[in-house]
Formats: sequence, C-alpha cells, structure tokens
Amino acid sequence: MESSDGVPGPPLFRAVASSTRPLYQLLKSINFTKKIHVEITEQGIRFTADHARVMQGIARWTKSMFTSYTTNFNSPGSDQDSDSGAESAPPTFQISLPALLEALQIFGAADAAARQSKADMDPYRSNLRHLRNHDPDAFSNHTLGMSGTCSLSYASEGGPFSIVIEESGVTTTCNLTTYISEAREEIPFALEEDPTFKIITQARWLLDAMAEIVPTSPERLTICASRGPPYLRLTSSGGAFGSTTVDFEKGLALLETLRVEQRWSQTFRFEVVNSVTEAMKIANMVSLRGDSQGVLSIQFMVEVEGSEPSFLDFRVVPYVTHEDDEEEEGEGDGEGDGGEGEGETVGSVGGRDG
Amino acid sequence: MAVLNFTLSEEGATVFHDALACMFKFSDDVCMEARQDKLTLTALNISKSAYICFTFAANRFFSRYVFEGNAQYRDRFFCQLTIRALLSIFRTRQGGELPQSKDSSIDKCDVVIDDGPGKKSRLIARVICRNGITASHSLAFEVKPPTHAKFIKDEAQNRWTISSRTLRQLMDHFGPGIELLDINTDNDASLVNFTCFTETMQQRRGGEDDALRKPLHTNIAVEMDEFDVITVKDKLHIIISVKDFRAILQHAQITGGELTTFYSDPGRPMKLSYGGDGVLCEFILMTVGEKDASALKHKNPRQNAAKSAKQPLDAASHRASSVPQAAPPKPNPTQQKLAPRPRQSQFEIRPQPMPPPPPPAPPATADSDSLFVPQADEDDQWEPLNDDDDEEVDQIDRLQWNSTGEPVMIKSSHFHT
Repeated sequence: MESSDGVPGPPLFRAVASSTRPLYQLLKSINFTKKIHVEITEQGIRFTADHARVMQGIARWTKSMFTSYTTNFNSPGSDQDSDSGAESAPPTFQISLPALLEALQIFGAADAAARQSKADMDPYRSNLRHLRNHDPDAFSNHTLGMSGTCSLSYASEGGPFSIVIEESGVTTTCNLTTYISEAREEIPFALEEDPTFKIITQARWLLDAMAEIVPTSPERLTICASRGPPYLRLTSSGGAFGSTTVDFEKGLALLETLRVEQRWSQTFRFEVVNSVTEAMKIANMVSLRGDSQGVLSIQFMVEVEGSEPSFLDFRVVPYVTHEDDEEEEGEGDGEGDGGEGEGETVGSVGGRDG
Repeated sequence: MAVLNFTLSEEGATVFHDALACMFKFSDDVCMEARQDKLTLTALNISKSAYICFTFAANRFFSRYVFEGNAQYRDRFFCQLTIRALLSIFRTRQGGELPQSKDSSIDKCDVVIDDGPGKKSRLIARVICRNGITASHSLAFEVKPPTHAKFIKDEAQNRWTISSRTLRQLMDHFGPGIELLDINTDNDASLVNFTCFTETMQQRRGGEDDALRKPLHTNIAVEMDEFDVITVKDKLHIIISVKDFRAILQHAQITGGELTTFYSDPGRPMKLSYGGDGVLCEFILMTVGEKDASALKHKNPRQNAAKSAKQPLDAASHRASSVPQAAPPKPNPTQQKLAPRPRQSQFEIRPQPMPPPPPPAPPATADSDSLFVPQADEDDQWEPLNDDDDEEVDQIDRLQWNSTGEPVMIKSSHFHT
C-alpha cells in the first residue's frame, strides 16, 4: 500500500533479529497445522494454530526477542497520530507455517544442520544449549562473529510477509503469501473460576513421561490428576504392544505446584497430545490445568536468551467419556487407587498437607 | 502369585537391552524361558539359519529373581514377546552425567509375569527412574514353547578362540555390499583368512542389473598367534553370513570377552559363544555348504527321498531315549554326496574324543553340558524336519544357502508317539 503522494509508506511492521533460532523453535512447537493465524501487536507477534477445533496452540514472539521492533498502526488505546486511517487496526492474517519455518531455517543453515542432528539425539542438552548458552562450537558462525541479521516486515495489508536474511555476504529474500484470516474461536477454558487441578512441574519430566509412552504408539492417552499418589498419572491405551502407565510417584518432589480440587481424569487422542512434545523439549516449566469440562490447558514457559521468557499455550479437548469408561481405564493398574474413591484420596492428602 | 518376578539394576537393564538389540537383528520376536536357576532368551531368524540364545544366571545377573511357577508351569515358564516393545522398556534413559535432581536414568526395573486361569496374562515391567517417575509397561505375550537349535559339540572338531575386540577390529575392513564370509586356514603359513565376498553375478537373483556389479573379494589374513586357541583342519573353508557375523561381533565387543567358535564341515552348523558376568551368549549359525550351485539344482528330488527314508529312524531314536538330543542329525543330500554315509555313522559310533558322554545309544548326552539339554518336558523332544520345513529348505536354496545343515534346527513340539 502506498501513501497518497505515491511514495511507499513505512511498513506496517518491521523487526530485526540477530538470530532466528528462538523464533524458529517457538514456532516449531505449534507445528501441527499447515496454516497459522498471525496477529501483530505492539508487544509482539502471536501465532495461533488450530487442529480441527480439538487442539489449539499459541506461540508468541515478544518484542524483546528482536533487536529492533517497530509497528506503524494504531493499536487500540494509543493516540491517533497516523495520517492514514486504513492502517489503524493491528494486522491479522494467516500464513503457511511450513513455509515460514523453512524461511527461518535458512538463517545459519550450515550450523543449524549440525545442531539439529545433535538436537535429535539429545533433546535435553540441545534445549539448554540453544536457548541459554550457545553451543560451544569453535567454528560456528556465531563464535566467529559472522552472525547475520534477519529482518521481518509486513508492508501493507494483504501484501506478503517478507523475511530478509543477510548472512556472511549472502542475502536471502523470502516473500510469503498472506491469507485473509478466518473467523477464529478459542477453545473455551474456564480459567480462573474453575481450574479443577493445576500442576506445575519441569517440562522435562513430562517429556520423560511421554518418552515412555510413545514407543507403544497408543491411540488414547488418559491424564489423571489426584491429590494423593500417584498425583499425576498418564496411561496409554489402544497400542499394539500393550499399555503403559507413567506415575509421578514422588509427586511432591517432582511437582512444583499441586492443587487438585477433585480427582480429574480425561482421555485424549494420543497423537494430539503428542504434538506438544516439541514444546516440552524447549520449555523449562510446564503448567497443566484442567477445567470441569475436561479441557486440558498446557502452558509452557520457555526461557529465551537475552529476552524475557516466552509462553506457549495449548488447549486440548478430550474424548467424551462416561463414568463407566473411566472406571474401566483405571482398573487393572491399580495400586493406591483405593477403589477410585475420591473421598478416600482427598482424605489421605489432607493429612499430608497438614 | 506371579509366575516370575525379577528385578534388574540399571546395569542389568542395559545388558538386557543390549542382548535384545542384538536379537532384534535376527528376529522380531523373542522367546523368554524362565526356570528356577536361569532366564533364557532365544530367537530364531526367519530363514531358520541362525539361532540366538542368551542365558542369564538367576543368582548372578539379577538383583532379585523369584520363579514361582504355577500349576501349569511348574518347572519352567515360557512366552513369546515382541522385541521392539521390550527394547523401548529397557532402553537407557537420559541422565548419567546430569546432577541427581535431573537424572532420569533407571534406578531399577521390576518385571512380573503373571499367567494362569482367571488372571490377565501380562508381562508388567515397572521401570523406576531416579527422578521419581515410575513407568509401568504392560505387555501381552503369547505362551509358546521355545524352539531350540541343537548343536552337537563332538561333531565340531574345529574350534578357535579369540578376543572379541580383536575380531571386531577385523570387521572394520569388511567392504560394503558383501554378504558372505569365508573363514579358512592355511597351516603352512600359519594364517587364518577371513574372506568376504558376494555371490558372483550370474548366481545372484535374476536381475539384469546385477551383471554390472562386480563381486568384491576382501581377504584378511590373521596370524594364528592372535588366537588363544586354534584347532582347525587345514584348508577348511567355512562360510557364514556376514550380516549375522557382524551382529554377533557388535554385541560381543560390548561384553569384551573371548569369543569361541566350534564348527565341523561346510553345511553343518557353527556355534559361537562368549560370556559376560552372569550371562552366556550363544549363537548357532548355519554355514553355507559347498558352493556348488549346479549340485543344488539337481538335488531336490533326492533330498526328499532321502528324508522320507530316514525319517522313521529318527523317530525311533526319539522314542528310545527321552533325552531330546537323541535324534541324530538328519542326513542331507549334499552332505551325503560330499561326505557320504561313513561320516554320519562315524559320528554316531566313534568314541568321543571329547569330554565323554557315554558313547552308546543316547549320544544325546554328548551335549549334556550344553544349554539345550535340560528340557525336562516331554514335548520338548527334537523332532525331525517335517515337510513344511522342506519348503523352507528349497527357499533357502534359491537364496544360495545350502540347506545341508538345516535338519539341526528342530522344532520342539508334540512328539509323543
């Protein structure tokens, strides 16, 4: 879009980053749909991925991840000093996620390839290295001071989202087509009023738990939170080789926060929950919450180097279950279940807390 | 009460995993056989040309081992499991160098097998990690008696022992794309040659493109001094599959022990064994018979004839002795051609130069120190090959595997008559 005098106006949005790695990693953790919804605000960019209305993932690039970040639109509440009325609303659009990831990956391609192979082998350490202290590789471009820049811009509404990467004398320009955003609905989660349970723990424990379950390639995953042992239990079912139950047995040592109003047990499609694994790899802490409808909210805190931590949000809708089914799931693997008695569980914990 | 209940330490789980990983290169399934004093894992590859057996001593290998049995399985219990599932259970977890609080490595692993009327037949492995997470894996299994391969040690006059690490190093020289390994000796030069090659092009399965492939021969000569023990007939060529040999050595090098082999003639099985702490690893590989493709082509009719002729005899000897190994090795056409009858009878009758089993009727006991003997159950008897197996033999022929030794692979099953 051009201003009335024919000279291109300043872009709606422009930001420069010295590394795309955190940007890439955050986005990759919601990589379960082809198109994602983008919302640019003055504080940062918000990406929302939606999988068949059953799962939603939100990733954010905060302003502080960029060396410069400028917007040229009027966000609600700020003073109206812009001449152009067309640029008043914060831009929203959709974009192809694989294409965006591909473009971001060009940055430091050679280094990234080497790191990626390490990351695949060692999810924990790669997590620590990439986001906190850089890989101590004497010959990486970063160490040699050859790091380039990556500038992102969105010139005008309906225009392409441009990524220009300058690195060791090579400039790569990617223009990604933007799409008109569809009407979006968030998965309702009764946040503060009614979290039936809330558990905060290290993301790696959750990753460990998933690693136990993944090899059985199950169909369903039941997440159960209780006040007493086993506190948090993940049970897989419908797998080819049998079932797996993971208990966070030393609950009080493993779980930073454990608040359970009432025993909570819901069954999810395993594949859906498993797509959160990518986030578990890069995050430090995770908060699991469930509401009375059975919707699960998983929030990750990801520490980003030289920036404030970023949060990843996921919401997952469970299978509709009946009480009978639940009983069936719980049966058979049961020490400490005390006949599924909620009263009993609550009672035992009461003593513990006191 | 559980049929079997044992606990593995972290190291134990690793050894267990290594053993399963090795087996996985041969077969998808493993048979687990539990007795009072030992746990045995066995596997047979799909073409029945390789048999693997790992024996874990109950008192030395496990931190705890309780075999209870039940009414149905008083002395031993057996089941078949998918290796892939077991591998993921016993795999090494992250941890090790990380501080205690972040250590998710295995603290211990409790395995319980339950079976019987009115109970869920499951193998439940409870993996207790140092970080306080406990994973209980529940696997379904098939109750299926294991198949054991028989190896007649006294027949195997050729033997050598060498450090598995040394042998593993030789393997680095094996070129790509090779399939077979010919182990032969030259007493004059005091050398053992390891020759790797693929079958020549016209022999390979049918594709025209194969003609473009050049067969690659690599010969690695090893001085006999490198071997701790070597007693091998001069100029004897014994040929085995490189893939199998590789898989074995990869595992053997982990244990780092001495690898001992026993073998007799081409077309007869070869046994490789080595041991670790409380673990005994044994492999029986079929060796390739004389590389005489034309002979193979003609042999089928005769083969069948020979078999049917011989079968009653075998059966008789079965009845004669309840010891499984009583069955004499099946005669086999190629073998008969090359080293006809005399060899066979010789093998039966000649007083054994080996640590002596009573030579006569139950020559079976020749093996009584072998692992496969203590088959108490009747239905474990060795049985001659049936017709189904003949088909497999034919298949093997097509793959250029000489079938001669095939009869040693015997299914333990219903031979009660």
